[in-house]
Amino acid sequence: MATTTTTTTTTTLQTPSVVSAEHPPVVEGTRKIEARRFVVPGTMILALVVVGIATGSNVPTWLDAHVRPWIDHVWSWVQIHNTSAPIFTDFLTPVGNFIGYRVDDLVSFFTILRWPGVLVLTACISWRTGGVKAVAVSVPALVGIGILGWWDLTLITISLMIVGVVLAMLIGIPLGIWTGRSDRAQQILRPILDTAQVLPTYVYLLPLVVAFGIGNSAAVVATVIYAVPPAVRLTSLGLRSVPVVSTEVGLSFGSTRGQLLSKVQLPFARRTILLGLNQVIMMAFGIVVIASLVGTGDVGNQVLQALQKNNVGLAFSAGLAIVLAAITLDRASTGERTTSRNPNAATKWSLAHPREVFAIGVAAVVIVAVVCKGAGVHSFPKSWTVDIQESVTKGSRWVTDHVRHGVPLVGGTESASDFLVRDILRPVETFLTWLPWWSIVATFGAIGWASGGTRLAVLCVICMLGLGALRDWDLAMITMTQVLIAVIISVALAIPIGIWCGRSPRVERIMRPILDTAQVMPQFVYLIPVLFLVNPGQVGGVIASVIYAIPPGIRLTSHGLREVPIAPREAATSFGATPRQELFKVQLPLAFRSIMLGINQVILMVLATVIIAALVGAGGLGLEAVYGLTKKQVGQGVAGGLSIVLLAVVLDRITQAWGSRPAREQQ
Amino acid sequence: MGNDSDTAAHAISVRSLWKVYGPKPERIVDSPEANLPRKELERRFGNVVAMRDISFDVAPGEVFIVMGLSGSGKSTLVRCLTRLIEPTSGTVLIGGTDVTAADKQHLLDVRRNRVSMVFQHFGLLPHRTLIDNVAFGLEVRGNDRAQRRDKAAATLELVGLGGMGMYKPHQLSGGQQQRVGLARALATDPEILLFDEPFSALDPLIRRDMQDEVIRLRRDVNKTMVFITHDLSEALRLGDRIAIMRDGEFVQVGTPEEVVTAPADEYVANFVRDVPRSHVVPVDHVMIDPPGHEIAYCSTVASGTKIKDIVGAMARSDLPVNVVDTGGRSVGLVDRSHVLAVIAGEK
Repeated sequence: MATTTTTTTTTTLQTPSVVSAEHPPVVEGTRKIEARRFVVPGTMILALVVVGIATGSNVPTWLDAHVRPWIDHVWSWVQIHNTSAPIFTDFLTPVGNFIGYRVDDLVSFFTILRWPGVLVLTACISWRTGGVKAVAVSVPALVGIGILGWWDLTLITISLMIVGVVLAMLIGIPLGIWTGRSDRAQQILRPILDTAQVLPTYVYLLPLVVAFGIGNSAAVVATVIYAVPPAVRLTSLGLRSVPVVSTEVGLSFGSTRGQLLSKVQLPFARRTILLGLNQVIMMAFGIVVIASLVGTGDVGNQVLQALQKNNVGLAFSAGLAIVLAAITLDRASTGERTTSRNPNAATKWSLAHPREVFAIGVAAVVIVAVVCKGAGVHSFPKSWTVDIQESVTKGSRWVTDHVRHGVPLVGGTESASDFLVRDILRPVETFLTWLPWWSIVATFGAIGWASGGTRLAVLCVICMLGLGALRDWDLAMITMTQVLIAVIISVALAIPIGIWCGRSPRVERIMRPILDTAQVMPQFVYLIPVLFLVNPGQVGGVIASVIYAIPPGIRLTSHGLREVPIAPREAATSFGATPRQELFKVQLPLAFRSIMLGINQVILMVLATVIIAALVGAGGLGLEAVYGLTKKQVGQGVAGGLSIVLLAVVLDRITQAWGSRPAREQQ
Repeated sequence: MGNDSDTAAHAISVRSLWKVYGPKPERIVDSPEANLPRKELERRFGNVVAMRDISFDVAPGEVFIVMGLSGSGKSTLVRCLTRLIEPTSGTVLIGGTDVTAADKQHLLDVRRNRVSMVFQHFGLLPHRTLIDNVAFGLEVRGNDRAQRRDKAAATLELVGLGGMGMYKPHQLSGGQQQRVGLARALATDPEILLFDEPFSALDPLIRRDMQDEVIRLRRDVNKTMVFITHDLSEALRLGDRIAIMRDGEFVQVGTPEEVVTAPADEYVANFVRDVPRSHVVPVDHVMIDPPGHEIAYCSTVASGTKIKDIVGAMARSDLPVNVVDTGGRSVGLVDRSHVLAVIAGEK
């Protein structure tokens, strides 16, 4: 028995070497590249050390690009001219007003419907999109908002979101159709979309405040900018994934381009476009709290204030309201409507008579609204609300007393947090700031070169120099420390869990709903448990980032493992590979790109939480950006935001290069 | 001039058709570089010749088969006929209309009214019911709703799926789906049907059914057909003439009998090696002239009958078989030795 096993194992082991022996030139070429990867960066570092010793270890003053004073100057110009300059009077102000009025219209529309009317309307829409199941989720969620006592403020939030989402779809779908049908359009738009997706929201919040002033319109426009990319992407993806044969069928029967779009491509892409709508809504909710930094008076603002005042009860209650609103809109927008094979008579009738169904829905909403008006019902009744703030605050006090300290063996969350700060974060931070700035620039240049060649190296060096030029070097190092630690923790947790999920259908079944919910949650929700566990500070930021970043890591790892085709796995098993061998020799190598993409996503997620982490006391660039926003130190805020973008670009591009490299080598 | 009237009589007439992929494809056409080995051409110029210098005519009502292995350029050829793929050079005439020179409107007219295509993987639109799938061609050319529903229902009936109009494609088996594909092509009542490996995704038994369907259709509606396949037995069963394609060129064009009995080169010979001659060779090929006086024979068959169909009669009797033309006049005699020679592969 034992002999057989050994023989088969050696056979599987030998297979790769046989393959490479057949192509010796390729192997040699790769080796040469490997060698160059280390020689060239080495010389570069050496050269930089010489330059660095000559210039000293602090960022030299000649590198300062004077961005802050320049932006402050623009800001004061705007303050003086925002009622006289043509760009404001003829363009920005009308656009802003238009958006603001639409939001007001929606708010008053909801007020006219009264709260029962809104419930009926939601029920009708969810029934249409997702059937009874969707109604069973969306309506209770909406009632929950009322019970929490946030009805009016949440409806403002929902109105903001709806206007933002509608605008995003109005812009996104035509652009998506354009890029889906024209390669040139795709080439033009792709880099713009990529940038918009990497850009953290707050980077464009400030310019928006400059353009539209503080208020609803700036928040809506921020939502639109944030939410347009997935709308474009998914529309375009939908059109592009129409099978070639269907396009050929369309053309071969003599369709014009317009007929091809309306009769073949759009029907095919419908599902993907609806998925895009859903994504747009979720992204919009993701930024609702951030958008309230520019001063909308909605429920997001309540969360923000609570976070800043460390008021757990308020943050929890208002945060829960936003989550419920997100769930409502999610269900109402894309419940999976299952077309059962044997629809009952009512469903059949409703499918065959869409107009009548629509009329009944409208009638129901109107009747309810009129009846409510007659009965004098206005906002959600006060007597029905339940104040959970008190009990949450009590609970948090209990946690403070019992979990933070003095837990046997582990020592409590606060003690762990102290350890993390004292023994990991601080030393790394001190080390990074102690290192001469140029050596870090050079290191990133070298990493860039080794990962993706000269172009990436140049990009990395330019971005890192940019941090110096923005006079944000030391803050950037603090943020980088947090990001690195958070990424390491997230990856260390996400990949094993992902592998576990990818291999065990049972674990997958348990994890999937958790991951799905995690993806729907707006970012700030992740801050609330942090308030329970630790005092405001750096660790809070790290924990929030880790919680936020783990789900995509798990998801992509397990997805990658499950997408490995069955044939090579069966081959491995038939050669007698143990499950472990199958994992390490077949599944993981084949899932490599997906896992790398997961790590890339983890980094982007961690960076996306940098600013929100600042709300619970993480310092660094996030704090600078938030401070700039709230205290109207525009120059400082923009500089902080730009620095985060530069860091994001560097880390994103490097990890992206890791993910795409094996593909290049395989060719 | 004589040449022109000649081409007008053809349903399809193709002259010097080329398709070259890669940068500046025109310069490769008819140049010495076109004859470079495939790899060499791709390395030096970045071009790939998918189809080179193809010319052929298809008579009205004829079934013209293009056969070749995957990558031989046969799918490119059929797509170039209605410019789903734009040919690099050459002309395609369909019923006398120059498709390659046609403007947008004329091209749409050809696609909408004169040529229909049946696709390999059916190409049914999953979001439409069967009836709307079949009516697709009528819809894009602007027929009104009632008219196209009637026509589509009738066509579904014709392919044996009457009454299933409200089903969705995913509820059907592969064979049924391709019947819908066939109905969709027939619904616009085109002069020409193009088949792009329509049955290669089907099980052998279903495939045979579908081939019978095509034979039946051909008898009933008498359309000109261009049929792409990689299956030799399908080609021999359905084709009036077969073109064998390899590396973008026609190696041989001929009747099934010619291809099997007189392969143009080793490639074709290898292809047809395992085909029993008696299945494709007609009695005419081996018969001797009638002696001019009355002799005894065991049975009478029509000219064009395949050898395999008289084996039974010959086994039961020592007498020869009488071959008659459509007028019933005797044109020859076949005896055992002729038949056995064919079966043995000597003729």
